[in-house]
Amino acid sequence: MVVPLISIILLAPLVAFAIFALSGIAKRTFPRQDLLSTAAMLIALICSFILLRDVVPEPEPLAVDWISIGEITISMGFYLDSVTVIMLIVVTLVSSLVHIFSIGYMHGDPRYPRFFAYLSLFSFSMLFLVVSDNLLGIYIGWELVGLCSYLLIGFWFEKNSAANACKKAFLTTRVGDIGMFIGMMMLFTKFKTFSLFDGAQDGIFTRAAAELATGDIVWLSIAGILIFCGAIGKSAQVPLHTWLPDAMEGPTPVSALIHAATMVAAGVYLTARMFPILTFPSSLVIAYVGGITAIVAATIAIVRFDIKRVLAYSTVSQLGYMMLAIGAGSYVAGLFHLTTHAFFKALLFLGSGSVIHAFHAMHSHSQHTHGHDEAHADDEAHEHDDLSLVHENLVHEHGSEIPPDQDMRNMGGLRQKMPITFITMLIATLSISGVPFIFSGFWSKDKILAGVLGRAMEWNSIHHYILFGLALCAAFITAFYMFRLIFMTFFGEPRNKEMHNMAHESPWVMAAPLIILAVLSFPVVNTIWFNKDYVIPPKQPHLHAPQHASVSPDTKTGDAKFGFSFFGVSEAQAADEVGGKNGEKADAAYYIYKRAHNIAMALSIFVAGLGILLSWLFYHRRRFSAESVATTFRPVYNLFWHKYYFDEFYDGVLVALTVWKSRLFARFDLSVIDGIVNGVGFATRRVFAAIIGYFDRRVVDGIVNRVAEVTWAAGGRIRRIQTGAIQTYLFVVIGGIVLIILIFRAL
Amino acid sequence: MLLSLMIFVPLIGMIVVLLLPRESEEMIKRVALVFTLVPLIIAVYLFIDYDRTIAGKQFRHGPVPWIEAFNIQYFVGIDGLSVTLMLLTALLGPICVLASWRNIDKGIKAYMALFLLLETGMLGFFAALDLFLFFVFFELTLLPMYFLIGVWGGPRREYAAIKFFLYTLFGSVLMLVALIAVYLKSGDPGARTFEIPELIRLASDPGHALADSTFQMWVFIGFFIGFAVKVPIFPFHTWLPDAHVEAPTAISVILAGVLLKMGTYGLVRINMDMFPEGMAVFANGDGIVGNSLAILGFVNIVYGSFCALAQTDFKKLVAYSSIGHMGFVILGLAAGNELGITGAILQMFNHGVISAMLFLLVGVLYDRAHHREINGFGGLGSRMPVYTGITTLAFMASLGLPGLSGFIGEAFSLIGAFESFPMLTILSTIGIVVGAAYFLWTLQRVFLGTLNPKYEELPEINGREILTLVPLGILVIVLGIWPHFAIEMFSESVVNLTTKMSGILQAGL
Repeated sequence: MVVPLISIILLAPLVAFAIFALSGIAKRTFPRQDLLSTAAMLIALICSFILLRDVVPEPEPLAVDWISIGEITISMGFYLDSVTVIMLIVVTLVSSLVHIFSIGYMHGDPRYPRFFAYLSLFSFSMLFLVVSDNLLGIYIGWELVGLCSYLLIGFWFEKNSAANACKKAFLTTRVGDIGMFIGMMMLFTKFKTFSLFDGAQDGIFTRAAAELATGDIVWLSIAGILIFCGAIGKSAQVPLHTWLPDAMEGPTPVSALIHAATMVAAGVYLTARMFPILTFPSSLVIAYVGGITAIVAATIAIVRFDIKRVLAYSTVSQLGYMMLAIGAGSYVAGLFHLTTHAFFKALLFLGSGSVIHAFHAMHSHSQHTHGHDEAHADDEAHEHDDLSLVHENLVHEHGSEIPPDQDMRNMGGLRQKMPITFITMLIATLSISGVPFIFSGFWSKDKILAGVLGRAMEWNSIHHYILFGLALCAAFITAFYMFRLIFMTFFGEPRNKEMHNMAHESPWVMAAPLIILAVLSFPVVNTIWFNKDYVIPPKQPHLHAPQHASVSPDTKTGDAKFGFSFFGVSEAQAADEVGGKNGEKADAAYYIYKRAHNIAMALSIFVAGLGILLSWLFYHRRRFSAESVATTFRPVYNLFWHKYYFDEFYDGVLVALTVWKSRLFARFDLSVIDGIVNGVGFATRRVFAAIIGYFDRRVVDGIVNRVAEVTWAAGGRIRRIQTGAIQTYLFVVIGGIVLIILIFRAL
Repeated sequence: MLLSLMIFVPLIGMIVVLLLPRESEEMIKRVALVFTLVPLIIAVYLFIDYDRTIAGKQFRHGPVPWIEAFNIQYFVGIDGLSVTLMLLTALLGPICVLASWRNIDKGIKAYMALFLLLETGMLGFFAALDLFLFFVFFELTLLPMYFLIGVWGGPRREYAAIKFFLYTLFGSVLMLVALIAVYLKSGDPGARTFEIPELIRLASDPGHALADSTFQMWVFIGFFIGFAVKVPIFPFHTWLPDAHVEAPTAISVILAGVLLKMGTYGLVRINMDMFPEGMAVFANGDGIVGNSLAILGFVNIVYGSFCALAQTDFKKLVAYSSIGHMGFVILGLAAGNELGITGAILQMFNHGVISAMLFLLVGVLYDRAHHREINGFGGLGSRMPVYTGITTLAFMASLGLPGLSGFIGEAFSLIGAFESFPMLTILSTIGIVVGAAYFLWTLQRVFLGTLNPKYEELPEINGREILTLVPLGILVIVLGIWPHFAIEMFSESVVNLTTKMSGILQAGL
């Protein structure tokens, strides 16, 4: 059953795209591309659920030989363990909901069918990435999702900002991909295979374990970090994160699907897949990159006014969280957060899309009345709002390019107007902020914090204490800026009366996906991650930690079975596992992790509460003024507002250098190399002409005369031959051959 | 016989075209199309019928004595590498005739006649098994090309044609010297030979004069420069941008699609296969000399890519990108291992297909707007969606997007090269990023943004143009997904080569 199911899952969206492409070649459009693509996705979704039943934790890969040259054989295939299937479900589920949402959101767009075709292509690529059993296959899917991201960010390519953003996204991620490619080359050169798992021949993991038994970890650490570079690009980690906020130029359903739930999470998935070859140094690099990203992005998010940008930075930050988890060895926690995040972040984006849709002229049926309002609204928004006024003064040089329908300074008080959007978004916000117990985000975040702290306590590692600090700070800031978004958008007085009056709740085709995603933001449906028989973290046999600890935290912390124990560890189970495997030492580890979990949970609840409280005081009660804080800490504020100057650095230094270098090369080509060539050519012509002149005079033979004439022509007298006399052309050819024979005879 | 028939059918076509009256232009075009379709059909047949399990030459014809005084023979036969490139040549033949259907405004008769002659030269070159015949076919392509650029080209056609001619002639002379040296060394007077399989056998016979590694090094250099001009390898490349910019669309297609491959084909067929000892001197990874081949590949990749980034002429950009992409071929060949050589050969074929697409696409735009200034367009995506879609496909293939054919050749060349030259390979990957940069930047400047009001009425790509692009597009996708159907053609030949190379390299250590 597995092979046909997986074939259907992959082929359904691919066929939907192929129909679009083929009819495009024939200069036609398939009439109901939207329904076709949506149906394809729903089929894939159903098949994914059926697969759930058939899957075992450590299956054999299903591979075929793709290429064989001499002794090298490269296979391509699928690997379907429980993690794969969970990813399949997440992707197909979010994708289906986004498809449905888009039917409403993209309605009336001139390129409506194309949008769905691109979504289908994306879904295929993403699913292919997820099920691949080898690095080459993952890389293929990896680049294809990048292409789709490019096409969809630039979907409204008439806008220059969109055209710039899609190029930036592609190029930035490609820089990371090159690192990944070099890492792949290293692994292939060493192990002569791209397969990760053992099939017909041993996979990379087995071979790497054997290699590491010799004790040399430097080489594999470098390879691991290089592969992670791909994830840095794709998952928008610092320093390659700058493309993701710009990617918000794409239609909002795209932001939800690609730039929140699935593609950007592919980096986390890849890192998790590479888990068995991550050594201590590479793990630490991953954890630090993740931790720093979580903080950097969260701080930038605080000061943004564009609702989509806030969510974008929030995504970057949460992805950093997942990376941090995997780097700290909490495999299950990282992937758990990936799934919970996929649902609530997709919900937040679709919710913001619903708000934008309510405001926006372009996609609404009342297209004509909106047109002039927009420009009008833009001026007014800044007059009425003290917040924006101060803001303008502070950073007027960066005068906002925020579209008015995405600017939170134009919103406010929308909760009565858009109750469904409000409630669903509120649920997602409670989830991402880590409000305890009844929201899924709390559980996954808690698991990460506990894992990192447990690692720190077990190894007594300063690094992991620092990482735990970063994670905790990020959790606090997250709660703060997410509620800032909610308060600014849905509470208080409407700041822009005209736009407010136009706002309306979205149609059901858009509201229904919101509701479904809201249900998914409760932990009920995510309990699969608590089932330890279902998801088994792979071993890291060569994780050389300072104290050479050999226990993986996931087997200890990953057991707060929902419904059994809120505050601690499901004791019997954990004791079973730990005790059975590692004896006394592990027993000690078990208590460390139990304690870590309790501390982490208490702290995470505290910071979430603090964040929400502060947000409430600032943005709802207006007890404190954000503006005065910003003025007081102006350098810090500027740093956040300018996004740590990454873009300035890249545009001003890296891009400029590259362009300068290319001009230099081109000029070198024209003046130096071509100069030499032309000089030599000129000199040769002179010499040639002299020789031939001499020859001409001496040898009266007709053939040689003709040959000389031809050579003369090469000296610039084409026009004479250009008369069209075919005989001459033919003669030239024969003459050439004769010339060669003549030279030959002379030798 | 079939092979010879394939080679000379275009020549017959040329004679038929010459016999037709100058005025019946439609007739001339149709005849030319038929006479280019016949070799395509034969090529497809050969491709299918080729026995993939053996490395030797198949479908031989000859040897037939030709110039007996020098033991020169007419002798043709193909292995997997030749048949792949002949298929490419034969495929581009009718496509180029179709691409010339409307935009050759003068002397269509002479144009088609020369084009058919050119095709015979190219097909013969890939099939020749006699070194002298090989050289004759090599030169045979030069003259029609010279006139096709010089007569039907753009404003600076004369300069470009002469440059092309002289450059190639310069390389040919060195090649001729090396060729004669090989002949003279091949045996005692009377027993000398030009037969390629025999020469290859002699050159690997340890006692023979041809096997002497110093001798091999020198003839390697001679042949190498001859082929390097064609590839083109830095610093012999500056004829290429000029020739491309001036040449009419179809001729650019042939130039990039086939003529450049003649250079790399020669490198494999002669330099690697016949003079592996000479090859080893430049690719054993020892010091500057031992890395020189890989360094040339690296320079081509990086230099070509950066130069392409700076171009504002669409066609020139594609031309420079060709230089970069041919660098991967050199790098892969220098690696001397299975993956490297396989990648290099795939890259030859794929670059042939992709660059042909790119030049056809540039031609489509040029025929409508009458200029090629990248910055002079903008927003065509909304006006010409189908054209934009096909261009995006070609660009993505060219920048090495996995799933499309360009990736496989590039990736295998690099992976193979990484084993032999890790640092140079890592540096070469810069070319991949820059490659993406110039294509995406071009895509943005031409197709994205608001529509340039000048081009509000620009007509969409027409059926004939789509017809020329579709077969190439299909190849790009199919080879990207299932490259094995090409690889299995030449994998035996590759294994043959690598066994030879690794034997020599190990003996050297």
